[in-house]
Amino acid sequence: MKKDVWRIGNHELSSRFFIGTGLFPNPYVQMEAIKASGAEVLTFAIRRINLEATEDDSILQHLQGESYRYLPNTSGASTADEAVRIARLARASGLSDWIKVEISANERTLLPDPIETLKATEILVKEGFTVLPYLPDDPVMCKRLEEAGAAAVMPGGAPIGTGLGILNPYNIGLIVEEAKVPVIIDAGLGSVSDVTQAMELGVSGVLMNTPVAKARDPVGMAQAMRLGIEAGRLAYLSGRISKKRYASASSGFDEFKLK
Amino acid sequence: MELVINGFRQELDVRTIQDVIAHFGLEGKPVVVEADGAVLTKEQWATAEVRTQMQIELVHFVGGG
Repeated sequence: MKKDVWRIGNHELSSRFFIGTGLFPNPYVQMEAIKASGAEVLTFAIRRINLEATEDDSILQHLQGESYRYLPNTSGASTADEAVRIARLARASGLSDWIKVEISANERTLLPDPIETLKATEILVKEGFTVLPYLPDDPVMCKRLEEAGAAAVMPGGAPIGTGLGILNPYNIGLIVEEAKVPVIIDAGLGSVSDVTQAMELGVSGVLMNTPVAKARDPVGMAQAMRLGIEAGRLAYLSGRISKKRYASASSGFDEFKLK
Repeated sequence: MELVINGFRQELDVRTIQDVIAHFGLEGKPVVVEADGAVLTKEQWATAEVRTQMQIELVHFVGGG
Protein backbone atom coordinates (compact mmCIF):
# COMPACT_ATOMS: atom_id res chain seq x y z
CA MET A 1 0.00 0.00 0.00
CA LYS A 2 1.23 3.50 -0.86
CA LYS A 3 2.40 5.51 2.13
CA ASP A 4 -0.61 7.46 3.37
CA VAL A 5 0.81 10.92 3.97
CA TRP A 6 -0.84 14.33 4.07
CA ARG A 7 0.21 17.96 4.28
CA ILE A 8 -0.32 21.10 6.28
CA GLY A 9 1.03 23.81 3.98
CA ASN A 10 4.31 22.37 2.72
CA HIS A 11 4.85 20.19 5.76
CA GLU A 12 4.34 16.47 5.17
CA LEU A 13 2.83 14.40 7.98
CA SER A 14 2.44 10.65 8.42
CA SER A 15 0.57 10.65 11.73
CA ARG A 16 -3.03 11.89 11.76
CA PHE A 17 -2.99 12.46 15.51
CA PHE A 18 -2.36 15.93 16.95
CA ILE A 19 -1.97 15.54 20.69
CA GLY A 20 -2.45 18.20 23.36
CA THR A 21 -0.05 18.60 26.25
CA GLY A 22 -2.37 19.72 29.05
CA LEU A 23 -3.78 17.85 32.04
CA PHE A 24 -1.35 14.90 32.12
CA PRO A 25 -0.61 13.56 35.60
CA ASN A 26 3.13 14.21 35.23
CA PRO A 27 5.78 14.87 32.56
CA TYR A 28 6.92 11.25 32.45
CA VAL A 29 3.44 9.90 31.67
CA GLN A 30 2.96 12.72 29.19
CA MET A 31 6.13 11.85 27.28
CA GLU A 32 5.28 8.14 27.23
CA ALA A 33 1.77 8.93 26.00
CA ILE A 34 3.12 11.21 23.27
CA LYS A 35 5.46 8.43 22.13
CA ALA A 36 2.64 5.86 22.20
CA SER A 37 0.38 8.18 20.19
CA GLY A 38 2.82 8.38 17.30
CA ALA A 39 1.90 12.08 17.04
CA GLU A 40 4.18 14.41 15.11
CA VAL A 41 2.33 17.59 16.12
CA LEU A 42 1.98 18.77 19.72
CA THR A 43 -0.25 21.59 20.91
CA PHE A 44 0.52 24.11 23.64
CA ALA A 45 -0.96 27.19 25.24
CA ILE A 46 0.77 30.52 25.95
CA ARG A 47 0.61 31.85 29.50
CA ARG A 48 2.35 34.32 31.77
CA ILE A 49 5.36 32.94 33.60
CA ASN A 50 4.75 32.55 37.34
CA LEU A 51 7.40 34.93 38.62
CA GLU A 52 7.12 33.44 42.11
CA ALA A 53 8.38 30.08 40.87
CA THR A 54 10.56 30.54 37.80
CA GLU A 55 12.67 27.51 38.66
CA ASP A 56 9.68 25.32 37.79
CA ASP A 57 10.63 23.30 34.79
CA SER A 58 9.38 24.29 31.38
CA ILE A 59 7.20 21.84 29.52
CA LEU A 60 9.60 22.16 26.60
CA GLN A 61 12.63 20.80 28.41
CA HIS A 62 11.16 17.30 28.27
CA LEU A 63 10.90 17.55 24.49
CA GLN A 64 14.48 18.55 23.79
CA GLY A 65 16.13 16.38 21.19
CA GLU A 66 12.81 15.24 19.75
CA SER A 67 11.60 16.49 16.39
CA TYR A 68 8.01 17.49 16.95
CA ARG A 69 6.12 20.20 15.16
CA TYR A 70 4.67 22.70 17.66
CA LEU A 71 1.15 24.04 17.33
CA PRO A 72 0.60 26.76 19.96
CA ASN A 73 -2.99 27.87 20.52
CA THR A 74 -4.55 31.22 21.37
CA SER A 75 -6.66 29.86 24.22
CA GLY A 76 -7.69 32.52 26.67
CA ALA A 77 -8.52 34.92 23.84
CA SER A 78 -12.10 36.12 23.46
CA THR A 79 -11.49 38.57 20.63
CA ALA A 80 -9.55 38.56 17.36
CA ASP A 81 -7.16 41.20 18.70
CA GLU A 82 -6.32 39.08 21.75
CA ALA A 83 -5.75 36.03 19.57
CA VAL A 84 -3.47 37.98 17.21
CA ARG A 85 -1.46 39.21 20.19
CA ILE A 86 -1.00 35.69 21.55
CA ALA A 87 -0.09 34.39 18.08
CA ARG A 88 2.66 37.00 17.71
CA LEU A 89 4.05 36.10 21.13
CA ALA A 90 3.98 32.41 20.21
CA ARG A 91 5.87 33.02 16.99
CA ALA A 92 8.47 35.17 18.76
CA SER A 93 9.49 32.02 20.63
CA GLY A 94 11.17 30.97 17.40
CA LEU A 95 9.65 27.51 17.84
CA SER A 96 6.84 27.62 15.29
CA ASP A 97 4.91 29.81 12.91
CA TRP A 98 1.90 27.54 13.12
CA ILE A 99 -0.98 28.83 15.20
CA LYS A 100 -4.26 27.30 16.30
CA VAL A 101 -6.70 30.19 16.46
CA GLU A 102 -8.96 29.47 19.41
CA ILE A 103 -11.31 32.24 20.44
CA SER A 104 -13.94 31.36 23.01
CA ALA A 105 -17.21 33.21 23.00
CA ASN A 106 -18.60 31.70 26.19
CA GLU A 107 -16.85 30.52 29.35
CA ARG A 108 -19.27 27.70 30.07
CA THR A 109 -19.23 26.09 26.63
CA LEU A 110 -15.87 27.41 25.36
CA LEU A 111 -17.51 27.32 21.93
CA PRO A 112 -15.54 29.21 19.29
CA ASP A 113 -16.62 32.66 18.12
CA PRO A 114 -16.74 32.24 14.34
CA ILE A 115 -16.74 35.97 13.50
CA GLU A 116 -13.68 36.76 15.63
CA THR A 117 -11.99 33.57 14.40
CA LEU A 118 -12.42 34.71 10.80
CA LYS A 119 -11.05 38.18 11.60
CA ALA A 120 -8.00 36.79 13.39
CA THR A 121 -7.34 34.28 10.62
CA GLU A 122 -7.40 37.01 7.97
CA ILE A 123 -4.86 39.08 9.91
CA LEU A 124 -2.54 36.19 10.75
CA VAL A 125 -2.54 34.77 7.22
CA LYS A 126 -1.41 38.20 5.98
CA GLU A 127 1.39 38.12 8.56
CA GLY A 128 2.63 34.82 7.20
CA PHE A 129 1.40 32.44 9.89
CA THR A 130 0.26 28.91 9.09
CA VAL A 131 -3.22 29.24 10.57
CA LEU A 132 -5.30 26.32 11.83
CA PRO A 133 -8.55 27.74 13.20
CA TYR A 134 -10.72 25.89 15.71
CA LEU A 135 -14.27 26.66 14.64
CA PRO A 136 -17.85 25.41 14.83
CA ASP A 137 -18.88 22.32 12.86
CA ASP A 138 -20.45 24.54 10.25
CA PRO A 139 -19.77 23.83 6.55
CA VAL A 140 -20.24 27.46 5.53
CA MET A 141 -17.88 28.81 8.20
CA CYS A 142 -15.31 26.18 7.30
CA LYS A 143 -15.46 27.31 3.67
CA ARG A 144 -15.12 30.96 4.70
CA LEU A 145 -12.04 30.16 6.79
CA GLU A 146 -10.54 28.17 3.94
CA GLU A 147 -11.08 31.13 1.60
CA ALA A 148 -9.41 33.39 4.17
CA GLY A 149 -6.27 31.30 3.80
CA ALA A 150 -6.49 28.80 6.66
CA ALA A 151 -4.01 25.93 6.13
CA ALA A 152 -6.55 23.52 7.65
CA VAL A 153 -9.95 23.84 9.28
CA MET A 154 -10.56 22.34 12.69
CA PRO A 155 -14.26 21.97 13.46
CA GLY A 156 -15.18 20.85 16.95
CA GLY A 157 -16.89 17.50 17.42
CA ALA A 158 -18.40 18.71 20.71
CA PRO A 159 -17.39 21.34 23.30
CA ILE A 160 -13.81 21.13 24.58
CA GLY A 161 -13.20 18.49 27.21
CA THR A 162 -16.73 17.06 27.14
CA GLY A 163 -15.93 13.72 25.50
CA LEU A 164 -19.38 13.76 23.89
CA GLY A 165 -18.04 12.64 20.53
CA ILE A 166 -19.18 13.92 17.16
CA LEU A 167 -22.53 15.59 17.79
CA ASN A 168 -23.23 16.35 14.13
CA PRO A 169 -21.66 13.74 11.85
CA TYR A 170 -23.81 14.99 8.97
CA ASN A 171 -22.13 18.41 9.11
CA ILE A 172 -18.66 16.91 9.45
CA GLY A 173 -19.36 14.81 6.35
CA LEU A 174 -20.41 17.91 4.42
CA ILE A 175 -17.35 19.83 5.58
CA VAL A 176 -15.09 17.01 4.34
CA GLU A 177 -16.88 16.86 0.99
CA GLU A 178 -16.45 20.57 0.36
CA ALA A 179 -13.03 21.27 1.86
CA LYS A 180 -9.92 21.84 -0.24
CA VAL A 181 -7.72 22.00 2.87
CA PRO A 182 -7.31 19.27 5.52
CA VAL A 183 -10.16 18.90 8.03
CA ILE A 184 -9.09 18.10 11.57
CA ILE A 185 -11.64 17.29 14.25
CA ASP A 186 -10.63 19.35 17.25
CA ALA A 187 -12.29 19.01 20.63
CA GLY A 188 -15.06 16.94 22.13
CA LEU A 189 -13.88 13.45 21.27
CA GLY A 190 -13.97 10.98 24.15
CA SER A 191 -13.36 7.45 23.01
CA VAL A 192 -11.67 5.33 20.36
CA SER A 193 -15.04 4.80 18.68
CA ASP A 194 -15.36 8.59 18.36
CA VAL A 195 -12.01 8.95 16.60
CA THR A 196 -12.71 5.97 14.39
CA GLN A 197 -16.02 7.55 13.40
CA ALA A 198 -14.22 10.82 12.66
CA MET A 199 -11.72 9.10 10.40
CA GLU A 200 -14.48 7.08 8.69
CA LEU A 201 -16.17 10.39 7.88
CA GLY A 202 -13.05 11.24 5.89
CA VAL A 203 -11.34 13.87 8.03
CA SER A 204 -7.57 14.17 7.62
CA GLY A 205 -6.78 14.08 11.31
CA VAL A 206 -7.93 14.54 14.89
CA LEU A 207 -6.70 16.72 17.73
CA MET A 208 -7.16 15.35 21.24
CA ASN A 209 -5.95 16.15 24.71
CA THR A 210 -8.40 15.42 27.53
CA PRO A 211 -9.48 11.91 26.42
CA VAL A 212 -5.86 10.79 26.56
CA ALA A 213 -4.52 12.87 29.46
CA LYS A 214 -7.47 12.11 31.77
CA ALA A 215 -7.84 8.42 30.90
CA ARG A 216 -7.05 6.03 33.75
CA ASP A 217 -4.01 4.93 31.75
CA PRO A 218 -3.02 7.77 29.42
CA VAL A 219 -0.26 5.75 27.72
CA GLY A 220 -2.60 2.87 26.93
CA MET A 221 -5.27 5.26 25.72
CA ALA A 222 -2.80 7.11 23.48
CA GLN A 223 -1.94 3.86 21.76
CA ALA A 224 -5.61 2.85 21.52
CA MET A 225 -6.45 6.20 19.91
CA ARG A 226 -3.59 5.77 17.46
CA LEU A 227 -4.94 2.37 16.42
CA GLY A 228 -8.47 3.76 16.19
CA ILE A 229 -7.26 6.52 13.88
CA GLU A 230 -5.44 3.99 11.70
CA ALA A 231 -8.46 1.68 11.60
CA GLY A 232 -10.86 4.49 10.75
CA ARG A 233 -8.56 5.86 8.07
CA LEU A 234 -8.11 2.48 6.43
CA ALA A 235 -11.86 1.88 6.58
CA TYR A 236 -12.48 5.25 4.92
CA LEU A 237 -10.04 4.43 2.12
CA SER A 238 -11.52 0.95 1.74
CA GLY A 239 -15.15 2.09 1.38
CA ARG A 240 -17.82 0.74 3.69
CA ILE A 241 -20.94 -1.04 2.43
CA SER A 242 -24.15 0.88 2.09
CA LYS A 243 -26.84 0.32 4.69
CA LYS A 244 -29.84 -1.86 3.79
CA ARG A 245 -33.21 -2.12 5.44
CA TYR A 246 -33.52 -5.92 5.22
CA ALA A 247 -31.26 -8.94 5.50
CA SER A 248 -29.18 -10.35 2.68
CA ALA A 249 -27.55 -13.75 3.22
CA SER A 250 -23.78 -13.92 3.01
CA SER A 251 -23.59 -17.49 1.70
CA GLY A 252 -25.35 -17.11 -1.70
CA PHE A 253 -26.02 -20.24 -3.77
CA ASP A 254 -29.73 -19.91 -2.98
CA GLU A 255 -30.71 -22.56 -5.59
CA PHE A 256 -28.54 -25.15 -3.79
CA LYS A 257 -30.19 -24.76 -0.41
CA LEU A 258 -31.00 -28.13 1.27
CA LYS A 259 -34.69 -28.82 1.09
CA MET B 1 12.25 51.90 38.90
CA GLU B 2 8.66 50.74 39.06
CA LEU B 3 7.56 48.36 36.29
CA VAL B 4 4.35 46.39 35.76
CA ILE B 5 5.43 42.83 35.05
CA ASN B 6 2.80 40.17 34.31
CA GLY B 7 0.22 42.44 35.89
CA PHE B 8 2.14 43.08 39.13
CA ARG B 9 3.96 46.25 40.14
CA GLN B 10 7.62 45.59 40.82
CA GLU B 11 10.40 47.89 41.98
CA LEU B 12 13.50 46.70 40.15
CA ASP B 13 17.00 48.07 39.70
CA VAL B 14 17.29 47.36 35.97
CA ARG B 15 18.16 49.20 32.78
CA THR B 16 17.27 46.81 29.94
CA ILE B 17 14.92 43.93 29.22
CA GLN B 18 17.96 41.65 29.49
CA ASP B 19 18.36 42.85 33.10
CA VAL B 20 14.71 41.99 33.81
CA ILE B 21 15.25 38.48 32.40
CA ALA B 22 18.36 38.08 34.55
CA HIS B 23 16.56 39.40 37.65
CA PHE B 24 14.04 36.58 37.47
CA GLY B 25 16.65 33.94 36.60
CA LEU B 26 15.15 33.32 33.17
CA GLU B 27 18.33 33.38 31.08
CA GLY B 28 18.47 30.51 28.63
CA LYS B 29 14.81 29.65 29.19
CA PRO B 30 12.22 29.71 26.40
CA VAL B 31 10.72 33.06 27.36
CA VAL B 32 8.94 35.55 25.12
CA VAL B 33 8.85 39.23 26.06
CA GLU B 34 6.31 41.89 25.23
CA ALA B 35 6.99 45.47 26.34
CA ASP B 36 4.22 48.07 26.07
CA GLY B 37 2.45 45.90 23.51
CA ALA B 38 5.45 45.23 21.27
CA VAL B 39 7.01 41.79 20.99
CA LEU B 40 10.78 41.85 21.48
CA THR B 41 13.05 39.23 19.96
CA LYS B 42 15.90 37.83 22.04
CA GLU B 43 18.38 39.87 19.99
CA GLN B 44 16.64 43.07 21.10
CA TRP B 45 16.67 42.35 24.84
CA ALA B 46 20.15 43.71 25.58
CA THR B 47 19.48 47.04 23.90
CA ALA B 48 15.80 47.46 24.79
CA GLU B 49 15.78 49.98 27.62
CA VAL B 50 13.00 49.87 30.17
CA ARG B 51 11.29 52.96 31.50
CA THR B 52 9.24 53.54 34.58
CA GLN B 53 5.69 52.12 34.49
CA MET B 54 6.50 50.00 31.43
CA GLN B 55 4.04 47.13 30.99
CA ILE B 56 6.09 43.99 30.51
CA GLU B 57 4.75 40.52 29.82
CA LEU B 58 6.96 37.47 30.25
CA VAL B 59 5.25 34.44 28.73
CA HIS B 60 6.07 30.86 27.82
CA PHE B 61 4.58 27.65 26.42
CA VAL B 62 2.47 25.61 28.85
CA GLY B 63 0.45 22.43 28.43
CA GLY B 64 -2.68 22.90 26.36
CA GLY B 65 -4.84 21.35 23.71
